[in-house]
Amino acid sequence: MSRERILRELSLLREGGQVTELVTNGRDYVIYRDVPTNGPRFGLPSTSDVIVPVPAGYPASPIDLAGLPQGSMLLPRTKGGQNNQGVVHVGGRTWQLASYHPHSNGGGPPWDQTKHGFHTYFDHLVSWLERLT
Amino acid sequence: MKLAREKGIVVRIGVLEAEQLKQLLFSRYPFDESATFARFGWRESPDALILTLAAVEPPQPGDLDEAAAHVVINEPYTLRMALTAEQNAFGIGVLHSHPRNCAPHPSSIDDDMDSYYAAYFGDFVPDRPYVSLIVSLIEEELVISGRIFWKNEWHAASHFAIEHTPCTTYGGEERTTSIPYDRIARLIAAFGEEAAARLSKATVAVIGAGGTGSIVIETLARAGVGKLILVDPDFVSESNLERLHGAVPDDAAEKRAKVEVARRHVLSINPQCEVDAYRGSLPHPDVVDAVVRADVALGCTDQQHSRLSLSDLSVRYLLPSIDCGVMLEGGGGNVTGQIVQIVRFLSHDPCALCREMISPDRLASELMDDEEKQRRQAAAQEALERGEDPNPYWIGAPQLNTVGYLTGVAGSMAAGYALGWLSGRFDPPFERIQLNLVAKYLDVQEVDHQRRSECSCSRSRGSADQGLGYALISAPPHWEKPTRVP
Repeated sequence: MSRERILRELSLLREGGQVTELVTNGRDYVIYRDVPTNGPRFGLPSTSDVIVPVPAGYPASPIDLAGLPQGSMLLPRTKGGQNNQGVVHVGGRTWQLASYHPHSNGGGPPWDQTKHGFHTYFDHLVSWLERLT
Repeated sequence: MKLAREKGIVVRIGVLEAEQLKQLLFSRYPFDESATFARFGWRESPDALILTLAAVEPPQPGDLDEAAAHVVINEPYTLRMALTAEQNAFGIGVLHSHPRNCAPHPSSIDDDMDSYYAAYFGDFVPDRPYVSLIVSLIEEELVISGRIFWKNEWHAASHFAIEHTPCTTYGGEERTTSIPYDRIARLIAAFGEEAAARLSKATVAVIGAGGTGSIVIETLARAGVGKLILVDPDFVSESNLERLHGAVPDDAAEKRAKVEVARRHVLSINPQCEVDAYRGSLPHPDVVDAVVRADVALGCTDQQHSRLSLSDLSVRYLLPSIDCGVMLEGGGGNVTGQIVQIVRFLSHDPCALCREMISPDRLASELMDDEEKQRRQAAAQEALERGEDPNPYWIGAPQLNTVGYLTGVAGSMAAGYALGWLSGRFDPPFERIQLNLVAKYLDVQEVDHQRRSECSCSRSRGSADQGLGYALISAPPHWEKPTRVP
């Protein structure tokens, strides 16, 4: 993991007011706090924390997947949320990863480490939680 | 001034900065001296400190006392450098010349200057190296001396490495000629004794000790290169024996590490050659520590992570590199193309990403741990069964075919260009070429790419560890720690 690069990317989000954390629990993860959702349309929360694993060899490998706190009512309504990609215990909480692959034919552009990072992945997360079904 | 010698101190300079320095420092030659400040990146390992010249900070009019024959730096210049350093992450260096044909031995005035500057800059930016270099032209040979104030001790620079430019380290480690001249008489006849002496003092890193790497290693050893740093994670298998120089069937049966076989082969050719062999891969930090001490590196693997890492090291650590690869097109008895590719990586060249040499899918799958690979392969299978696209989950990499004569051609060419750089006798006349052994006139193509302004390689030249935030790749945490083969 290029910790320096990730911290630089997260600092860009902080400048815009988005709170994030880089946490380690055997493997590294980024937790985005209070990401806005379209949940109120379904009587669900308007924000949610989201977890994203740091890929091996980052930034050489694309950022992939996204997870919500296990049991979140938002999860079944997200794209890929019904396709469980694993459960992780990070930051004192249990998270479930969804099959969300924006940079791998999942709706976003192909991964380009010169343009993309954890700062741009935030846009995909907002989009993911906006398009609840 | 007492100098500590327990650390190997390597100072690396890019060819563009070297040219700029020659213009600045020899501007008052042959009798008068000149000087400039510069900023340096660095990387510290347990037994070495690598310094990289990240940028020259040339003097402005009035910064130097032009009336004095020796160097007198006026205070505004010094203060400007200290304040600039507070705004960046780099160490500060001062470089000055001695008159033509005068040894770059520090004078008592130089001692006073360095003592003053080390303390002065240490007050502004503590915990950074202060670098003092003296440069001279002696019988047209570039000779450099250096000392570095680091962690409250003075260290002597043990080696200077300028991108594809020979230079002599004044007072540095002198490796005696490691191969009898009779054995390299034809090489000496072609390139001269001076070239042979340069090769004997050179250190070359070879990444990959397979088919291509083994011929590179053998060629360098036979040419009398003084030290080889060999890196490969694999063990010899039966299918390697068709192209692995130095390997015998027993090596496959015993599953010996490829670097162990390569080391044995080198020492059988030249027992005086110093060989450091690592079973591991780039960009593991331990392997990086070893490789960045080399004068030149050669990339001889078909692994995407290795190729990208070498490209990254060439930019951030000013390590001149040559990457070579081969590809057999077709198969099943119908071979349509036999491709050799040679790529030059200098610090100002486009990186492997800018040159579109990297397959993102192959790269990502190389870096995953086994558990993730299995999970993704299973998810891809499930997606197929649902009638969905499996590619978001897993894209398998095809097995690349190759044969020994093809790896031999590629490796020999790459080793030849490395010898040209090290001896100062010739350069590759291209940045990247491909040739097809079964096409008319070999169908030689020069592939030209430009650096992309948004790419990290445009912002991290010579930044060393201070540019880690711009690294193109990092070592996955699940990788084993490399082992050094005794």
